Amino acid sequence: MPQVGTDNRQEVDKVSSISLRNVKKKYVNDVVVDHLNLEIRDGSFTVLVGPSGCGKSTTLRMITGLESVTEGDVLIDGQRVNEVAPGKRDIAMVFQNYALYPTMTVEENIEFGLINKKIPKAERARRIQEVCEIVGLTEYLKRKPANLSGGQRQRVALARAMVKAPRVFMMDEPLSNLDAKLRGQMRVELIRMHKRMGTTFVYVTHDQVEAMSMADDIVLMDQGKIVQQSSPWELYHNPNCIYTAQFVGSPQTNILDGRLSEGKKLGFRPEKVHMQPVDAGKGINIPATIRTREMLGSELIYSMETPYGIIMCKSEEDVPEESRVTLGIALESMYLFGADTRRCNFGEEEKKEVIQKFGGSC
Amino acid sequence: MMGKMRKGEGKDALMGYLLAAPAVILLLLFTVYPLIYLVYRSLLGGNLITKEPPFVGFQNYRILIESSDFHQVLKNTAIYTLITVVFTITLAVVIAAWLNGKKHSRLNEVVQTFIFTPHIISMVSVSTLFLWLMDSRSGFFNAVLSMLGLEPYTFLASPDTALFSMAMVMVWKGLGYYVLLIMAALQNIPASVYEAAEMDDTPGIRIFFKITLPMISPTILFTSVVATIASFKVFDSVSIMTGGGPLNSTNTLVYYIYDYAYRYGKPGQACAAGVVLLIFVCVITYVQFKVSRKRVHYQ
Amino acid sequence: MKEQNKKLTAVVNVLDIAGKLVLILIMAFPFFWMISTALKTLAETLTVPPTMLPASPQWDNFSEVFKTIPVWRYLRNSLIVCISVVFLQYLVIVPAAYSLSKYDYKARPLFFALVMLGQMIPMQITFLPVYFMFSKMGLIDTYTSMIIPFISNPFGVFMLRQYFMQVPTEVIEAARLDNASDLKIMFRIMMPMVRSALITLGLLSFITNWNNYFWPLIMTSKDAYRTLPIGISLLKDADSLQRWNIIMAGNLLLVLPMLLLYIIASKKIRNAFVYSGIK
Repeated sequence: MPQVGTDNRQEVDKVSSISLRNVKKKYVNDVVVDHLNLEIRDGSFTVLVGPSGCGKSTTLRMITGLESVTEGDVLIDGQRVNEVAPGKRDIAMVFQNYALYPTMTVEENIEFGLINKKIPKAERARRIQEVCEIVGLTEYLKRKPANLSGGQRQRVALARAMVKAPRVFMMDEPLSNLDAKLRGQMRVELIRMHKRMGTTFVYVTHDQVEAMSMADDIVLMDQGKIVQQSSPWELYHNPNCIYTAQFVGSPQTNILDGRLSEGKKLGFRPEKVHMQPVDAGKGINIPATIRTREMLGSELIYSMETPYGIIMCKSEEDVPEESRVTLGIALESMYLFGADTRRCNFGEEEKKEVIQKFGGSC
Repeated sequence: MMGKMRKGEGKDALMGYLLAAPAVILLLLFTVYPLIYLVYRSLLGGNLITKEPPFVGFQNYRILIESSDFHQVLKNTAIYTLITVVFTITLAVVIAAWLNGKKHSRLNEVVQTFIFTPHIISMVSVSTLFLWLMDSRSGFFNAVLSMLGLEPYTFLASPDTALFSMAMVMVWKGLGYYVLLIMAALQNIPASVYEAAEMDDTPGIRIFFKITLPMISPTILFTSVVATIASFKVFDSVSIMTGGGPLNSTNTLVYYIYDYAYRYGKPGQACAAGVVLLIFVCVITYVQFKVSRKRVHYQ
Repeated sequence: MKEQNKKLTAVVNVLDIAGKLVLILIMAFPFFWMISTALKTLAETLTVPPTMLPASPQWDNFSEVFKTIPVWRYLRNSLIVCISVVFLQYLVIVPAAYSLSKYDYKARPLFFALVMLGQMIPMQITFLPVYFMFSKMGLIDTYTSMIIPFISNPFGVFMLRQYFMQVPTEVIEAARLDNASDLKIMFRIMMPMVRSALITLGLLSFITNWNNYFWPLIMTSKDAYRTLPIGISLLKDADSLQRWNIIMAGNLLLVLPMLLLYIIASKKIRNAFVYSGIK
């Protein structure tokens, strides 16, 4: 575990604005997060994503200081902050249920943190006005949260966080209490806000679409560990294991198991399955019968029965149920995974094996 | 998602202790310590000013057990409690059901206001007022009886009627409170149950006994326990109306404890009687605990 | 047939109203009699059959009460005790309830059990040991002896704890991120959220302490510290002649503030007592 003090602070500064080093969180007998190493780049929009209970919220709360760290270090701008109170970390947070102070007006809600920071009155008024113009709350300043709509409350929560001009901006599932339409709208606004402020955003969600559309850095977590950290493009095109491949994209990546040597598994995305055969040597061709189809509008999702099990296919072609088709999957859109489910080398030898085992021609 | 509670580590836990400390210290001082001291003092002799009272073991308890006065006090307390609880709860159920009906809801509101008024009035004034109303020479009650050509009632003047008269005062004072408690339970019965009964053309009396009563029975049990403990504690009315008389007929447990400590200067014996009251309250509270557990289960 | 049904309904209606009026009469008449007696001459109180209303209201009866007993002193003592209890208890029970609802520490279940025990044990059991303790400390005949045993109001702690538990923890966390101290969170965020509960508790404890006879009776022996209920009860034995008109006038002084309070906030007071009864 690297010892980080003030002497090598500058070096760390270049790397990231937040780092977690070997962090562990334990509740009585439950280890929620274990040996977590995470670097969050300065100015990035980092999204922690994963199924519920994967430790993403706990990780976020450990960065804020609302949750203590059982083992390891949390660093912000190179300084160890394990013992620093949440209010002194210069972090703002938007909660899932907004957590507005119900007895205060919108203005008082936004002002509260500034008063605690002993910011002079004139400065407070200026900042509140500025922030409220950005999020469009100016006419609601004197209202209580109970008299606002869900979307307006969300804006108050954002304004309350923004007004503090924090080093880091945290959000824990901030959009999940909004209806679908408003959620889409807020997504765009948050991206715009991030561009404008240039501050580090750390965002927690269980929704892969939200993560993919907003992040410039995604941290995929499972069972208290980071599975993969990369850009959305990388995460989609270059998954490092079956879990990642299947978490991103809908329907899930197809996995063909039990045919290859050493327990290797073959994976390919439904949108890469075509209903025309591919040239011999360029890929594999599999005979299939269409069992069900779902019309999504621009495309259709097929569930096909094949000698290797069910294969999902996403296609623009419109084919009736019970049709027999030949599926062609190109080698370049395949992923090979080892018996341990990690991604493994897909060289010439492996390609040959795949073509041989799954039939290179029809 | 995780950790709804702020975990007890370091500074947070310390703050938790600090915030609770004043209340905890006061409760230790005025609840726990007195209980321990009560039991301890009940084993000592001496009087109010003895510096170091001698240890006498269970002597004080033996005196209590052998004292016919104390037997009388226990009997009085039990009878007083029984009369009060039975009258209060029965009347409260009937009146609550009556006031809960749809008829004349404005009037019902007025009745509720009036029926609850005695509850917020000092027992001192209520006792004094009834002492006057029940006065045997010029009291209003006997005046009315004589106007109707009836024999005057003895009320507080005779050992045969004093305890009952006092119980009635307690019923008058407490009734409104229990009516409101039971009404709150009645209002929790879903309207659909009554609508279903109406569809089945069930007569009113049958609805009351077969639907209303069973559904509020847990509350009836619960309020009975509350009323029982309240009756055990009776002191003010004894002190003001009768001083325990005539012929010890209205002397109840708390008044007895007070009397033995301050008038007869026998704190050991008073504390022993206090322990007896403590045991009663514990038993009743245990029953209450059982009842309320059932109540939660029932709902 | 239908005619008969209509008649029956009308009769039931009349009986219903009559019954309720009788109930009101039973509840209200003693108060009426108290007021009526308080305004009669001594001779009028003794006439048989009694007169319903005084021939001419004797307002002087009230000044007679003030001449017989030091009413102002009792009143001042009562107010000192009641107001002190109401405000001091807030300082004790709000932090305790906050601690028991939103902090986690080892002794918390034990502390909560203590609160429950406090609710269960009536003062009629603990008064003797407390008396001995106070008497050793020289606190008999002081305001302290009538105030401090009531400021740790266990029911208040219990009730506020229930209210605080409904406050989402995220609100507290948001305040911590806003750099608010624990005390600031308690006073600025939590307390305003339970304002109505605090008012209810204040009302309940003011009424209870105003009416309290038992505790001041035990803790005081000097007129200088006696509260109104004790003072008024002494009126009855003030002279050998039982002047019921004067006694009733005195009791009216004790009753009227509560009646006025009840007229102003009847619904609120009733709900407060019902809440405290159901828990």
